[in-house]
Amino acid sequence: MSEDLHIGVSQEDGAKAVTVLRLKGSLDGNTQGTLEAKAREVVDAGAQYMLLDMSGVDYLGSAGMRAIHAITNMLAADGADTGMHSKNLKILSPSPAAAKIFKTLGFDSFIDIHNDIDEAVAAF
Amino acid sequence: MRLELTADLGKLSRIRDFVSEAVATFAVDTAALDDLTVAVDEAVTNILVHGYDGAGDIELEISVSGPDLLVRIRDQAPEFDAKLSPPTALQPPPARNKPGGLGLYLVQNAVDDVSHRVIDGGNELTLIKRNVVGTQSD
Repeated sequence: MSEDLHIGVSQEDGAKAVTVLRLKGSLDGNTQGTLEAKAREVVDAGAQYMLLDMSGVDYLGSAGMRAIHAITNMLAADGADTGMHSKNLKILSPSPAAAKIFKTLGFDSFIDIHNDIDEAVAAF
Repeated sequence: MRLELTADLGKLSRIRDFVSEAVATFAVDTAALDDLTVAVDEAVTNILVHGYDGAGDIELEISVSGPDLLVRIRDQAPEFDAKLSPPTALQPPPARNKPGGLGLYLVQNAVDDVSHRVIDGGNELTLIKRNVVGTQSD
């Protein structure tokens, strides 16, 4: 069964302090706002680098991609991330179906996707 | 197989579950099932957001025609032809605008044919995924 979106927050300290949002559930038109609100909360609390752990996401649609797009803009608001390629947001372990959505919409060309958390944190 | 419901965005997961269960009965492989799930989710989301302004009656019918799988989505929203609203060009994240048209772009990429017709008091969207019936390997 699909389910709503639950988000856990933790921190990984590499060269940069990386806030990890662990997503569990579906990222669709119903839960887009849940992710954006949580991201806004942690950005307002000072998060500058964010890793979205998508290993628990059973569905990703365009609404989820709009949330991810919104997060890149939140993280770029301080001017640190003004290039074409996002330096502040990375994606961890999307399902094959979710990875296909990234590729189809071209998001994989400006947001890095990793399958190992240590590698992802070190890449910031 | 058919599903009729008064839908809102909170019912999207139920609609996706219906697609999974219905499509599974036709032995469709996982990649095609994922594509069909995306296409239906995006199409219904568009109907709910742009046609109904939130919630309304939706009828889903999934059937096969030879090796092809057909999904018909009927609503009673004002006439809306997705082809009249072509996907907009993709914008990279640094652009401060909100990306539009991504859902329709995904629908058109996920299935082989998309057609729309006006029916009595609403719309019927037909999505066709060709040569997928019986492709599941186990």
